[in-house]
Amino acid sequence: MPQALDIRQNKYSDVSQEEKDRLFQECKDDERWSHILYGCYECGICVAACPSARFYDFSPRLIAQAVAREDTDLVYTLMNDSVWDCSQCFSCDRCPRGNSPGQIITVMREVAVKNGLNTAKEALEGYGRIIYKIMSTGSQVSPDMLQPNAFPDWGHHVHEIADNLEVWRKALPPETLHTIETGWKVDEKTIIELYLIWHMTGVMDLILGIDEGLHMILVDVMEERLEEAGYDIEFD
Amino acid sequence: MANESVLIIGGGPAGIEAAKGIAGLGYKAILVEKRDRLGGTPDEEKYAALTPDLRDTQEALGDLMDPIKNNPLVEIHYNTLVTGSSGQLGDFKVKAIEMGKEVEFHVGAVIVATGFKHFDPGRETQKYSYYELDDVITLTDAEKMLSEHKFVRPSNGEKPKRVCFIQCVGSRDRRLGNEYCSKVCCGISSKQSIEIKKLLPDCKVYIFYIDMRMYGYWENEIYWPAQEKYNVNYIKGMATEIVKKGDKVLVKGEDTTLRRPMEVEMDVVILAVGMEPSDGTTQMADIFGLQKNKYGFIETTGGCLDTVSTNVPGVYAAGATTGPADLEDSVSAGGLAAMKALSAIRALAVPA
Repeated sequence: MPQALDIRQNKYSDVSQEEKDRLFQECKDDERWSHILYGCYECGICVAACPSARFYDFSPRLIAQAVAREDTDLVYTLMNDSVWDCSQCFSCDRCPRGNSPGQIITVMREVAVKNGLNTAKEALEGYGRIIYKIMSTGSQVSPDMLQPNAFPDWGHHVHEIADNLEVWRKALPPETLHTIETGWKVDEKTIIELYLIWHMTGVMDLILGIDEGLHMILVDVMEERLEEAGYDIEFD
Repeated sequence: MANESVLIIGGGPAGIEAAKGIAGLGYKAILVEKRDRLGGTPDEEKYAALTPDLRDTQEALGDLMDPIKNNPLVEIHYNTLVTGSSGQLGDFKVKAIEMGKEVEFHVGAVIVATGFKHFDPGRETQKYSYYELDDVITLTDAEKMLSEHKFVRPSNGEKPKRVCFIQCVGSRDRRLGNEYCSKVCCGISSKQSIEIKKLLPDCKVYIFYIDMRMYGYWENEIYWPAQEKYNVNYIKGMATEIVKKGDKVLVKGEDTTLRRPMEVEMDVVILAVGMEPSDGTTQMADIFGLQKNKYGFIETTGGCLDTVSTNVPGVYAAGATTGPADLEDSVSAGGLAAMKALSAIRALAVPA
């Protein structure tokens, strides 16, 4: 069950003011910042549009007003206890002031991950399998994930499909979809480029910061294929 | 034959603009002012810069009054108080005391531009401790400091680190009887917050409000820059009480949008005091038999389509004499009153 967001007291009073200020400054230093935060009317138009706000104790307004007010205690609390409740759908991009609470959250999440906050690790724990899939194969959901035990709520026909997966896939007209382990045929050149991008843009460092085990198995996969492709890349 | 001169009472922005209008149309304007200089409340209360454009007050007022100084059609009487009136449209005899001497003006119409006074926050809002605490001041006290290009804690002369404004002091309050919005205080507070941040970039500035009323262009001319460029914190919630805490001032209120109580220490608290009818406005209403509204401002008779005519033909009221007004309202009404006054006088000369 999602927990109620507690902002009535300074929950992280054990964390130093300097650390909270530093993390907030890191958000502000992001080059997107000046285009996604102006001032907040605290009008709630973003909350009214937000699907997450209907199910969680989550408010994009709270995010916007906390950063607009530069209330670093509250920003720190939200960076830990709230930003992961956003579904990043950007329905909130209808702010009369031109704010984008969703993108503010994107930046706050990145800062949380880059700084290895425990709450970020916890929030992303369940996504290790998905991150592994995307980053190792270049595609997310693959047909072989369609197993009855994984999707019991899909009904009996899941069995039929799972049992004859290869046949079903071959029935699809585009040849690129005749795959089982990936969502589509990922070109060798594409996956190598993806590995290089993730390496060069620091994504691999981010992964290392929050999940060492995941980082290790990804590095194994990537180093081998990059070497085969003629790249001599050293991951940290 | 109707007297074609117009008497203007009050040398503030509305009165100056009215005199300018009368003279500009080729008629004689007699401008009486109780002080020994023109400029009205912005000058008397030493406003630093005008809202919303932050133009230097003295420079802007200078430009406003230049056309009526040394103008042969404008007769200015300083240190003059109107004491009585008789007659009617086209033939008013208005008595006054000028430098202790009784004088009488013969005019065809009268424009009352005696304006407003600032609400006294000590009177009925004692919980804000205006008279008890040196560091609790009003917008006008702040203007005086800002006009000297400084902003300090009155208690010790030091630069403040945290300053807050409290909006709607003396306005929008059924208990006080001032149910109206004073129109300008949100803008002036935001303007002052910009001036304070310019002087003291590291000072945290808060504005506690009921709703911000920054109509028209004031929105993006002052509100947005204050919030977006100068990082002024706007917090929806009113202070209920201000008390002393050590050498600080403790403001108690509710941060309504965060749904949590708020007790914050401030170095300086600025009360955004509203407008009430000036003593001159009350006196002129009595002398000319002008109807007042329930708040004591002079009532205009034409609703929203005539903002200067009163219940007495030939007597007009302009600017903050008729209710809270900003400078744009005041000079607009001054010009309109000039036109209406002359139109009424001219109509007497035209055969039916």
